[in-house]
Amino acid sequence: MNLTLVLATLRQRFTSPIRLVIMLLFGWMPMVPILMAPRTGFAALGDCYFLALALAAGMIGQDLSSGTLQLLLARPVTRAQYVFSRWGAVATGTFLLVVLQMSCAAFIMLVRGVPVPWDQAALHLGNSALLALGTAAVMALLSSLAAGLGDLGLLFTVFLSAQVLEKVGMFKSWEWLVRGAGELLRGLKPELDLAPFLHGGPIAWFAVVAYLSTVTLCLGLAVVVMNRRELSYASSGN
Amino acid sequence: MDGIRIESLTKTYRAGQVRALDGVSLEIAPGEVFGIIGPNGAGKTTLLGCLLGFLRPDSGRVSIAGREPDDLVIRAVSGYLPERLTLDRWMTGLDFLAYHHALARLPAAGRAAEVEAALARVGLDPEAGHRSIRRYSRGMLQRLGLAQALLGRPRYVFLDEPASGVDPAGVVLFRRLLDEVRAGGTTVVLNSHQLDQVERVCDRVAFVKQGRIEALETLHAGAAMARVLRVRGPAGTIGEAVPRAALEQAAQRAGAELREVSPPLARFAVPDDAGAVRLVQALVAAGVPVAEVTPEEGRLERLFLEDGPPGGPA
Repeated sequence: MNLTLVLATLRQRFTSPIRLVIMLLFGWMPMVPILMAPRTGFAALGDCYFLALALAAGMIGQDLSSGTLQLLLARPVTRAQYVFSRWGAVATGTFLLVVLQMSCAAFIMLVRGVPVPWDQAALHLGNSALLALGTAAVMALLSSLAAGLGDLGLLFTVFLSAQVLEKVGMFKSWEWLVRGAGELLRGLKPELDLAPFLHGGPIAWFAVVAYLSTVTLCLGLAVVVMNRRELSYASSGN
Repeated sequence: MDGIRIESLTKTYRAGQVRALDGVSLEIAPGEVFGIIGPNGAGKTTLLGCLLGFLRPDSGRVSIAGREPDDLVIRAVSGYLPERLTLDRWMTGLDFLAYHHALARLPAAGRAAEVEAALARVGLDPEAGHRSIRRYSRGMLQRLGLAQALLGRPRYVFLDEPASGVDPAGVVLFRRLLDEVRAGGTTVVLNSHQLDQVERVCDRVAFVKQGRIEALETLHAGAAMARVLRVRGPAGTIGEAVPRAALEQAAQRAGAELREVSPPLARFAVPDDAGAVRLVQALVAAGVPVAEVTPEEGRLERLFLEDGPPGGPA
């Protein structure tokens, strides 16, 4: 990972007015239930999926479409470093937003005289970190495939296709199709619930392996796609 | 060798339907300023893309100081200015230079001073450095791009249309910077349509057409007959009262070359400005009535015209 690239990505993402508005929307909406019923705790915040999407959208694709990638890759930076730096920056940014969100929620609870459930806070933080890392990996792959904000389009298309396939499978009673579509949907939102770990329950190894394999596969494929990509306006969009 | 070596480079697009480069071989010596010219669609940008490691050739090889062009060791000592300059517009000019200074792995210790010096070097004032890039004019962007390419005194510089959109003062500055870079021993590859600029700054030029190198011209040391002068006399003189032999003798004395006689005009090739002065003096001394002397198109323009009008696939 390249620290200069990570910091530049974070700065770029957090200075975009449109992104800021979207992040504000997704970040502050969950505060409403906390304000109304502070005893619901951090569970009311929901997950950070949409925050991660807001930060990740176009993470590579926008560099491809704008032409800034050429200048960047003329520097001593490998394409793998570039992909990992973008992934790391988006995951870090999402995690920082979650920390900010939780700090505000904790503040509201304290002001309203409700004790802060610290064990729940640790769980929420851990789950959010894993979801941020997973979502950023999926978006890194989709963004390496499509220029501009095409990654969001791809995400939506895959999501919609998986939903349709699932429904078709259910209608036709094709178990394999329902299962395959379900895996595809889970692949779009790689998450791992840390509750069993924190509460001393049995470890769901399948979930751990599925999460890790999704993240590594997405990042690996993103690097392969970027390594194969040719960069030139003379190459007819290649 | 520390120079650039291109061996039988071939590159096609659209599953081989468009042949952008067709067996290009070249050697660029260390410290040389090398120009690539040619009509649109000739393969110049593709050649530059292969030199930078952005494009993978179908066959052939590019090596820079014996390494692959995308080797990080080479990238650490290279600078690049693309033709379609798109910068990170959310940054200020100084931020942008500091960002590339860091990406180039240059020491962080003197970063602030170095990026300010780089900005001043391309004639941008410190106030502009603190301004957001989205407020820069086309010429300012080009200057900033050039400052970025020259950060850290690179050993190899690749410039794609560096003076496009730059005002005349910027063009002069660009030439001065290239002279400085050349004096520092940097190898420069320059892709440009501005033939007069190429002619002034390059040591050698490759004329690329339909993916092939049609001609290699040496412009500096040892370059012969770089300019053509058209000499016109009053009616009935040149080519009539003054025979071709007399014009040839005068040209010989001045170290020039008679190219063509078409009364009342004669075309002479001269090596440089001093050669032009010598020719006029020799003609006057020989009693040739000279009414008008006008320079013809530059040497590279002639190369373009002699090879047919620009065209080819886009």
